This record gives sequence, structure tokens and C-alpha cells, in this order.
Amino acid sequence: MFKKIFTPLNGILFIVLIGLLLLPRFVDPYWVVFSLLVFMYIGVGTSFNITAGYLGYVNLGHYVFFGMSAYGFSMLYVKGIPFLICMAVGVFTSVIFATLISYPFLRLKGGYFALANFGLIKLFELVASSLRDFTGGTQGISLKPGYRPFETYYIFLGVALLTVLVCYWIPKSKFGLALFSIREDEEAAAAFGIYVNRYKMKAYVLSSVFPGLLGGVYAWYSAYIDPETVFGTDKALLPVTMVMLGGTGTFLGPIVGAIFMMIIEEVLWTAAWLPVWIKTLHLTMLGLILAAVGIFSPGGFVTLTPFTKFFRWIGLGRFLGASHKSLKLEETF
Amino acid sequence: MLTVLAQLILAGVLQGGTYALAAFGLSLIFCITEILNITHGEFLMLGGLVTYILFAATGLNPFLILLIVIPIFILVGFGYQKTFIKPILNRPPRQLLFSSIVVTVGIATAIEDTTSFIWGPTVKGVSFSMPAFTIGGVVISSLRFSILVLIVGLTVFLHFYLKKTFVGKAIRAILQNREGATVIGINVPRIVTVVFGIAIGLAGVAGVFYVLLFTIGPFIGLPLTIRYIAIVMLGGSGSLLGSLVGGLILGVAETFAGFFLGAHWSLSVAFFTLVLVLLLKPEGLFRHV
Repeated sequence: MFKKIFTPLNGILFIVLIGLLLLPRFVDPYWVVFSLLVFMYIGVGTSFNITAGYLGYVNLGHYVFFGMSAYGFSMLYVKGIPFLICMAVGVFTSVIFATLISYPFLRLKGGYFALANFGLIKLFELVASSLRDFTGGTQGISLKPGYRPFETYYIFLGVALLTVLVCYWIPKSKFGLALFSIREDEEAAAAFGIYVNRYKMKAYVLSSVFPGLLGGVYAWYSAYIDPETVFGTDKALLPVTMVMLGGTGTFLGPIVGAIFMMIIEEVLWTAAWLPVWIKTLHLTMLGLILAAVGIFSPGGFVTLTPFTKFFRWIGLGRFLGASHKSLKLEETF
Repeated sequence: MLTVLAQLILAGVLQGGTYALAAFGLSLIFCITEILNITHGEFLMLGGLVTYILFAATGLNPFLILLIVIPIFILVGFGYQKTFIKPILNRPPRQLLFSSIVVTVGIATAIEDTTSFIWGPTVKGVSFSMPAFTIGGVVISSLRFSILVLIVGLTVFLHFYLKKTFVGKAIRAILQNREGATVIGINVPRIVTVVFGIAIGLAGVAGVFYVLLFTIGPFIGLPLTIRYIAIVMLGGSGSLLGSLVGGLILGVAETFAGFFLGAHWSLSVAFFTLVLVLLLKPEGLFRHV
């Protein structure tokens, strides 16, 4: 019993957790903001991985849940309604929307599913900028400004931890096994008595909860949202790029990808040793890095040998494989 | 009222025609290689941009510029396929989807950012006008009329190209059965290159028409790609007739929505078309070529 709890790995994780909890006391606020954005990315990327990696349905419009929750939160919060109620409404908006849209959309497969969702996020950008009376149009909504990186840091840390724990639980559970078998062969899964549609819907709705949680808090933190910041194209592509950078369908992939993404963005923006034209063209650089990752490293960073060795060395090797022990999936991912 | 309706339908048909040209390219690529080419709208934008630059520099007739744009964009298509698409072509299906999205989105972002950096984010248009004529109270500009004629001509040409030439037959063979085509000796990778040339050449041509009819800016690419996707799904992938009909339906619907509801609603038409098609007829209106 004690042997199982007090493994070296658990010790490391415990120390890391304590370190993250105490971090805001010791470092510059700049790094607090940096790490809260990392947590946000981890939350979004890991929940995107539930549908894209575990279920095999690439949801290009995953960020739409984030945006809906942000708008739901802000529209109520400006009217003076308490924070927690606004949060709950934000999460409910995205979850109910996910439930409704999952019916027509989950009938699609592969590229069509990805594209329909991508169209969805564009539609919401359009609706949010057109309905001036409700959403403030392209000018967005300004909340009461305030300096709250520390509260946001802890909330985002909590949500990121929750997401990661859920994604740790899924591959071990019956639910996860069902998702994996749907990913491998939907008809065979149905033939073995798995309620394919029900599981697909559950996974889709589950993945919408976490961006829903993050979106409202993000609006509260930044005190201003507009259609571009929550429904923009670069945002829509953010989760897919992060997960692709890290490694699809793996537990560690989205986490590694989120951290790398943030570091790349940070270096492109702030590094003094880079020439100015690279900073001006930082989106171009980001795009080219993406293309390079797509071409040269299809499995993401976690499949590169140095990373694999490092993770094996610190004892996280078992999270590198795609998923459930009973399924061999290395060939497909 | 009737003349207004006629004008609207004419404008919609023109818009739909430019959509259909580029959408057919996207549909061919998607059908033959299963690659989702999100960069497609960017090539349309680049086609418009090249026309704008050449027109500003030389003042040539835009229809002569069209003759320069076609070979340039066919070559661009070949190069694009060789550098970015070839390395990811032979991956297993789900990974191919992921890789194609990531690669093409990365390139689309890079193209958008670079063009907006070099030529500025402002909208550009080519101010080229030709005398208008009137038929039964409907004013038709002869510029629009000649573009319509050119689109019809190109479509007819494409139809016969796909039906009669060896390459066209090979493309149709691959659409029907990839393994079978390989077995009877069709060089599939080569045909894939040709398909990219045709598709991106068509996108460039559509860009020339687009900049003559409307205005272009660096960020029109992705919204256009979404419209093409709606058209491909409405018409059925890999079908020339489907792309044409889908493009015309979407073009007319968008023009009507723009006239009666306001111009900013036009993209939502594409989305609702998409959802309706998904709910009612997920396989699209037409089958393969």
C-alpha cells in the first residue's frame, strides 16, 4: 500500500505541485501570467485530445466552447450578477450547446467533421460581431477592470489539474476503452455492443466542459473580450496545433505541446537576439514551424527519441504510448 | 422589383461561378488525395494580388493578365505539392487528416501574415471598367458578362478535359478506384501533381475574376475556404457539376442574404447550407465526375 503511494514519481509530482502552488510568491508577476496562460493551453489542449486523440474525431472548432462560455459569462457579469453564477451559466451554455450540436455533427466523419466544426467557430465570430445589442459587436464587452493574475493563476491551475486527471482516468476506464474501440473501427465497436452514438456524444460533451470552465475565468481575467480574441481563426487552430506539436492521442502530448507552444510564442515575441523582421512576421514563423512539425514529426514531440528517453528516465514512460494497454496503436498514431 | 431580382440573380450567378471554379479544385484535391487543402483560399487571394500588381505596374488588360496568371499558378501548384504535400501523402488516414490540417493551416497563416506585412492589410481592387448594356431593363456590365462567358468556357473545357484526354481519364479512374488505377498502370503520384496544378491554377483564375468583381484583402482566404467546403459538401466531392450547382446555389443565396439582411451575414449562409446538407443529404447532391 505505502509502496504504491510513495513511489519516486509520485514524490516528484508532489514536489512539482507544491512548487506550482507556491510559485506566485517567489517569481515576477510576468511569469505568473506566463504560467497561467500555459495552464489555459493545457486545459484546452488536453480536453481537445479527448475527442481528437481518444475518440478520433478532430474537432477543429473546439475553441467555440471557450468563446461561448466567455460571452455567456461577460454578458451576465456586466449586469452585476455574482461571479459564481456567471461561471455556472458560462459552463452550462457551452455544455448545452455541445449536447445540441453533437446530434447533427457526430454523424459526420473525418475531414467533414473537422470542417463543419471549423465553420461553426467562424459562424460564432460572425454572430458575435453582428448582434450588436447583445454582444457589443466588434467592439466586444468590457468588464470592470481589475488586476487579478493571482486568483486566475490558482483557478487555471485547478482546472488544468482537473482536466489532466480526467484524461489520466479515461484510458484506464471502460469509457476510455469504448472510445478507443470506436476510434479504431466504429462498425466493429457497434457490433460488439458498444452504444457508439452515446459514447461519442458523451466524449464530445465531456470535452466541452473544460473550455467552458476556462472561458468565463479568462474573460474575468482579461476584463475585455471581443469576437476576435475568443472566436478568431488563430484561436480555433490553437488546440489542434498544440496537440499536434506534442503528440496526438497520448496523455503527455497536449501538456508538452502546450508548454512548447507557449515557449515558441514567447521566444518569437520577446527574444532580443532575434532580428526585428522575425518578430514582425511572428505569425509567419509560427505557421512555418507548424508546417515543419506536420511534415517532419507527425507523431509530435513525444515520439522523438530524446524526449522518449527523458520521459522513460524520469519514470513517465508508460504515458508515452498511445493509450490502453490492451490495444496496440503505435501503427495508427 | 423584377429587374432588381434579375440583377441579384445575375450577381449571385457571377459570385457563384467564381466560387465554383476554385471549389472544384478543392474538391478534386480532397477526393484524390484525401488532403484538406485549407490553403486553397489563399491561392485565390494570391491570384488576385498578382493581377493587382501586374495591372498597377503595366496597365495591361486584365484578360491578358489572366493568360500570365494561369501558367504561374499551375507551376505554383506543382511546387506546393512537391514541397509540402508529397512528404505527408503516404500516411495512414487519421494521421493524414491531422498532418494535412496542420501543414496547410501553417502555410495559410504564413501566406496571410507575409502578404499583409508586405502589401498592407488594406483592401485592393482593380478599377477596370467596360461599357454596360441593357437587356429588358436589366443593366449588365460587359466586364461581368465577359467574366461569365469565360467561366462557362472554362467549365466546358474542364468537362471535356476530364472526359476526353488521357490525364482526365486517369483522374476519373483514380476517383473510382485507386488500387485499380495503379494496377492498370496509371502513375498515381504524377496524376496527383497534375491535380494540384489544375486545382491551384483554377484558384488563381478565380482570384483574377474575384479581384475584378470585388476587392481583395490579405484575410479573405480562410472565409473563402469555408465557403468552398460548404460548396463541396453541397455538391458532392469530386463532381464538376456538383461544384457548379453548389457554387451557384451558394452564390445566389449569399447575394440575396446580403441584399435583404446586410452584407455581413453572407458567411452565415454558407454555414447554414452546410448544416442543412449534413442533416438532410450528407453525401451531397451529385456523385463523382
